[in-house]
Amino acid sequence: MARLLEQDVKALLQARDIPVPRGAAASSAQEAADIASGLGAPVVVKALVPANRRGLGGGVLIAAAPEQAAAAAAALLGSTFAGSDVEQVLVEERLELDRELFLSVVLDDDRGLPVVLASRHGGIDVEASFEDPQRAPAVLELDPWRNALPFQFRRLWRSAGLEGSELLRVTDLTRRAVDAFFELDATTLELNPLALVAGQPVAVGALLAVDDLALPRHRDLAALVVADELGRPPTALERKAAAVAAVDPYRGTARFIELDGDIGLLVGGGGGSLVFFDAVRRAGGRPACYTEIGGNPSADKVRELTRVVLSCPGVRGLLVGHNITNNTQVDLVAQGVVAALADLGIDPRAFPVVARELGTNDEEGRRLFEQAGVECRGEESTMEHAARRIVERVYGSAA
Amino acid sequence: VSIFFSTPPQVLIQGITGREARMVVRHTLAYGTNVAAGVTPGKGGDVIDAVPVFDTIEEAGSACGPFDATLVSVPPLATLDAVAEALACGIRFLVVATENVPRHDAVRLLALAREAGATLVGPNSVGVLVPGMRVKLGAIGGQQPERAFQPGQVGIVSRSGGLTAEIGFQLRRNGLGVSTAVSIGGDALVGTPPAKLVPKFAEDPETDAVVYVGEPGTRLEEALADALEEGQISKPVVALVLGRFVADFPRGMVFGHAAAIVEGQRGDPAAKLQRLREAGALVAESLDDALRLVQRAIGRETVL
Repeated sequence: MARLLEQDVKALLQARDIPVPRGAAASSAQEAADIASGLGAPVVVKALVPANRRGLGGGVLIAAAPEQAAAAAAALLGSTFAGSDVEQVLVEERLELDRELFLSVVLDDDRGLPVVLASRHGGIDVEASFEDPQRAPAVLELDPWRNALPFQFRRLWRSAGLEGSELLRVTDLTRRAVDAFFELDATTLELNPLALVAGQPVAVGALLAVDDLALPRHRDLAALVVADELGRPPTALERKAAAVAAVDPYRGTARFIELDGDIGLLVGGGGGSLVFFDAVRRAGGRPACYTEIGGNPSADKVRELTRVVLSCPGVRGLLVGHNITNNTQVDLVAQGVVAALADLGIDPRAFPVVARELGTNDEEGRRLFEQAGVECRGEESTMEHAARRIVERVYGSAA
Repeated sequence: VSIFFSTPPQVLIQGITGREARMVVRHTLAYGTNVAAGVTPGKGGDVIDAVPVFDTIEEAGSACGPFDATLVSVPPLATLDAVAEALACGIRFLVVATENVPRHDAVRLLALAREAGATLVGPNSVGVLVPGMRVKLGAIGGQQPERAFQPGQVGIVSRSGGLTAEIGFQLRRNGLGVSTAVSIGGDALVGTPPAKLVPKFAEDPETDAVVYVGEPGTRLEEALADALEEGQISKPVVALVLGRFVADFPRGMVFGHAAAIVEGQRGDPAAKLQRLREAGALVAESLDDALRLVQRAIGRETVL
């Protein structure tokens, strides 16, 4: 899921006839003051980070004059919200909101369909208020193959309690928001608050997450994406691992998360890596990282990833393992791991390395591992045996 | 007879000229599965391991059809089109191997399959294997399916393709075999969720017990628990949900498969296991434990 920053989201909305407040992004206090003067006070100054609920965390400030806008910007710039550094603020006109609505279009995995959620009660901390059944949003399921008709959106907002000209205007805007959701391959498009200003709906708050798998068909969007897969900024090693994975992306998958333990994990596949992780933790081990490799990576890719794993601060041992492989070549995994150990001058007779590799070309793989002094386990050992073995070797049998 | 086929199917492979598919074709033919034709738009007239290649399924069907099943192994952005073509040509059993299908496309292709009344396994499935019939649809089992899968009485349903093979392999080491193994795919949206698939095994006279392997995220396990509670499943179901320690990961992180995202309480493996236990599943603490439970369920002793 790839998120965009609010000013980019609002530009995309405005281009689709969805009104948004006037405003601009600033990266300094002076710039914020200039924008505020241009707009005319009062203004709202928002931390530009790809997260919602900023209002609760103090990330949205109100400024009555340009000097105050400068002070607000100075306070927000350089701070951290939801794990992201604030590098820019959004300075917007402060509108008189007659009413705050909530509108969200999301891909609902449980239904296997996109749905529209609509409520008369929008604004700060709306998620908490939805727990109250009286305030639960009205829901419309969308057919992914057919445009919804205006009556469906009218019915939605009628059941949410709107009437009169507001009903018609909000219905019309909802149709445009749903069109944008499909056109942008969005997973979430949330307008909150969707405010009524002098009877007209305006997207005062806007949040957009697009499907990163669809970015190859949206070149323009790809440039706007702020990565947030981790929920925190990636570490230097995580960036390095991502660069390794990006080489020849169709040959071998690799995902790396840095953790703070001492056993390096170079494991696969998608489910198998979780078996190893769970088993190491159950045996009392503390992983230094989680590295999932699969999809038959080249020996070079394995070598580079192994070097990243062995660079984790405090790493005292390495577990290499897969479930019996469907297509990953075990000999290539062995080649890569053994080469990385040699690169770094690590002797597996002194630094514990346990491999559990089984499947395509495993005889050659085992030969390479054993020749290099790696403790290699195959048919005689389950994945969990191997996980317990590395824990035993790293911490001694008392672990 | 298997849960999907009463006789060995005639198989089509879409995207047959791709790097991954070529390898799969070789292994599939060697295993004895009947690959009748392949399709790659623009490559009509080619031959891959004696299998003729066509530009369209319509032409492939006229020359080599009808097809009982198709394996879709095309690039991510071409998957929706490939599935739609197969359904339009009347194919009602599809295994979609492609990983990284855009989410809107997945929603659309699954809606098409539902409307057509077709069975769609995947996307992001390593495949379906029926050892007793020597049917291999997908990379499942690799070069030597016999090494991991021998015919037998256990059904396997797994989010993870790799673990489908590992479980088959551990069963074989213990003298047991598999009726049908299904890698249902690791994405958030899959065509054959366990709540639909496990009841099919319950009706299958050749299956005595089912192993299900789930992952964090989604509500697939909760739906399986509902199906168990409704009494749709009369045979022992051993359930394992991986990722008991995912709380170690940063929130929102994608690990393992795309769907394995834990947001707050939703998708938590411990909660899933609790629901499954209450619904009558034999809940496994670990993969080794799952093997022990299967053997106990069908009256065997374990030698792990």
